[in-house]
Amino acid sequence: MELGFTLAVFGGALAVVLGGIGSAIGVGLAGQASSGVMSEDPEKFGSYLLLVALPGTQGIYGFLSAFLVMLSLGLVGGPLKSPTIYQGWQILIACLPVALAGLVSGIHQGKVCASGVYMVAKQPKDLMKPVIMAALVETYAVLGLLITILLLNGINL
Amino acid sequence: MAIAEVQKVQILAHAGVKMEILSTLQEEGLIQLERANFEELDLESSFQEVSHLEHRLHRLSSALVYLSRWEEKGFVKKLFAQKPQIDRQKREEILDFDYLPVLDKIEKLEAEKDELLSEIRFLEKEEEFLNPLEGLELPLRSLKPTDSTEILLGSLPLSQEQSFKELAEKEAIWFEVINRRKRIIYLFLIYPKGEREYFEQILKDLNFVHLYFTENMLNKADENDKVKNVMEKIKEEIKEKEGKLANLEREGQNLFIHRENLMLLHDVLLNERGKIFSSHLLGETERVFYMEGWIRSSDAEKLKSKLQPYTDAIEIYARAPLPEEEPPVILKNPKPGKPFELLTKLYGLPQRGSFDPTLPMAPFFFLFVGLCVSEAGYGLLAALLSLLLIKFAKPKGGLLQFLKLFTLLGVSTAILGALIGGWFGFPVSELMVLDPLQDPLSFLILALVLGFVQVWFGTLLNMINGIKNKLYLESIFAQGGWLLLLPTLVIYFQTKQSIWGILSLVGASGIVFFGSPSRNPFARFFGGLYSLYGISRYLADVLSYSRLLALGLATSVIAMVVNTLCQTALGIPWVGWLLAALIFIGGHLFNLGISFLGGFVHSMRLQFVEFFSKFFKSGGKPFSPFELESKFVEFI
Repeated sequence: MELGFTLAVFGGALAVVLGGIGSAIGVGLAGQASSGVMSEDPEKFGSYLLLVALPGTQGIYGFLSAFLVMLSLGLVGGPLKSPTIYQGWQILIACLPVALAGLVSGIHQGKVCASGVYMVAKQPKDLMKPVIMAALVETYAVLGLLITILLLNGINL
Repeated sequence: MAIAEVQKVQILAHAGVKMEILSTLQEEGLIQLERANFEELDLESSFQEVSHLEHRLHRLSSALVYLSRWEEKGFVKKLFAQKPQIDRQKREEILDFDYLPVLDKIEKLEAEKDELLSEIRFLEKEEEFLNPLEGLELPLRSLKPTDSTEILLGSLPLSQEQSFKELAEKEAIWFEVINRRKRIIYLFLIYPKGEREYFEQILKDLNFVHLYFTENMLNKADENDKVKNVMEKIKEEIKEKEGKLANLEREGQNLFIHRENLMLLHDVLLNERGKIFSSHLLGETERVFYMEGWIRSSDAEKLKSKLQPYTDAIEIYARAPLPEEEPPVILKNPKPGKPFELLTKLYGLPQRGSFDPTLPMAPFFFLFVGLCVSEAGYGLLAALLSLLLIKFAKPKGGLLQFLKLFTLLGVSTAILGALIGGWFGFPVSELMVLDPLQDPLSFLILALVLGFVQVWFGTLLNMINGIKNKLYLESIFAQGGWLLLLPTLVIYFQTKQSIWGILSLVGASGIVFFGSPSRNPFARFFGGLYSLYGISRYLADVLSYSRLLALGLATSVIAMVVNTLCQTALGIPWVGWLLAALIFIGGHLFNLGISFLGGFVHSMRLQFVEFFSKFFKSGGKPFSPFELESKFVEFI
């Protein structure tokens, strides 16, 4: 395999790994908070689950971008392509927005969701307010995903 | 716009009919009572009554918790379970039901059950203790020291076994190993009584733990009973107590037929308490009482006719709210817009002088969720599921509105999914007007145009509201300036024709000269210039709508991934089709879940942050009428 191909695969892997780390930490933070609260108040499992699941999207966005990379390399469904070194670098760089934005926003969204869990414990009716707060953080992961998709779309092999 | 008109209603009536009138008001649920500005009399007795009711309610709800164990189980059954119904006018008939014996019986059963359980736990502990000593072939009662020897039972860490054996050989200790566990050996040993202190010390050094039979165990043992026999007796006793427990359960289950009556009773008493609480809001003298509250203007006539029976003893006034009063807010929207009120209530009700943003927001929200999910199959599935739930689970109140909203969003998703998405990941190109995977740029432009339209519309609403509130200059010139500037600037950059440039400058000058409220001309000019800088805010708001593209693409790509995985799974011999079916169902359900969650939340954010911030001021108080509340039953 060529260096270009390797670089492109590296890019896809980065998207999954960094997005996944962000989500894992984020979901972990929110999960800890909700398990703690649930020890006193086991009834609201559903509401907490929603808040714990929210920081999980960064990982999915990374996964999705990696899949797009695999698609364009022909690793799924098509004949294998052989990108040049430059194209390989381009794909790697195109993966960075979703990877890095996902890493940082996942962690911070997790923090917002964890405090959201505490809020819902005291104000069960206000579930959607912390959800919106978390979505404000997620915006930047969404923007990262958007740019990664547009960049990948623009790189023709 | 769509806020219902409310009136202040004031009622003056004879004290004799107080409870009847409160009952009627509670049944109808038309009035939100406010605290009347009068001293209260006679508080003492009502507090006693309240605490009596509280006690009853507490007993009833713990009895209901007890009975709920025989409820029909299963998620689907629970989902479709209906609450028992009761005619609101005849609700007090249930008070004739002689419920105290039932409560006593349930409480007795529970106490007996707790006792049995703790006895069983105790016996199980004893059995656990005896378990390692089962091999001891001597009667329990014979294990008594004699005149010259000491007899001991005990355990020793396995690591000390060797040193113990050496010691036993050297000294005059006779021993037998009863049992060996992972880290412990159980011993039975005899040594001369004369040197007791010496032996005790060396055994202690070896970490020997002395085990004694309890009084209870010795009592159970007959003259010749060994550990084995005692254990059997304990087991039998446990079995017997478990039998008793099962009997108690059956008795409890027989009481299950009273559950519905207890539920009705609980809710009726709950409302009796509510009535007493509200009577604290009244102003009273010995002969007359006075109450006031808010009512929908359209309900005022109904209230009067409902209070007709007391017409000799009552006086009712209704008037429009005074400027300094803050009446509660009731949203009033036509049927299709009603489910969207949920979003408005979530953000906050409009304050006085603002208006209900539900209808202007609804079409955008409808469209945006469809764009974010953009998957016809998911849309149909969501709409179908919500409709089925509405039909069979018969939800009420907020949940019903939420399911209605979800049905609408499902329809929107189905339509937009057919136009720009696929059917469970398979695009049907004959129906499609745009394929976002092939041509993301067109979708991006579409998203930004929609965003521009909504932001511009929000500014327009702000201008209209400003004019209504008599802020003519600022509204027409500053808000109007934005309305002119934004589109002309875009067209100017597209076409480069100077006429559009001039128009945008006209708009900008409106903002510069009227954008600041200051009277000082310099401060006004520079303040206006600063508010022109707000254009960056508008730019950011519009760009924020690009998320519609990202979320829409995410749904299609994940659906594609699921289908690709299915294809790969189909290649596996024998179980391939099963695996593929599982991946297909699980994968698409997962994608449906996260897509709707993302689509819903992000579309909501666009309404709250980008749209509402342009014109809407929340802070109104919700209307919470004095009505029958229900926990277990439904008043009809």
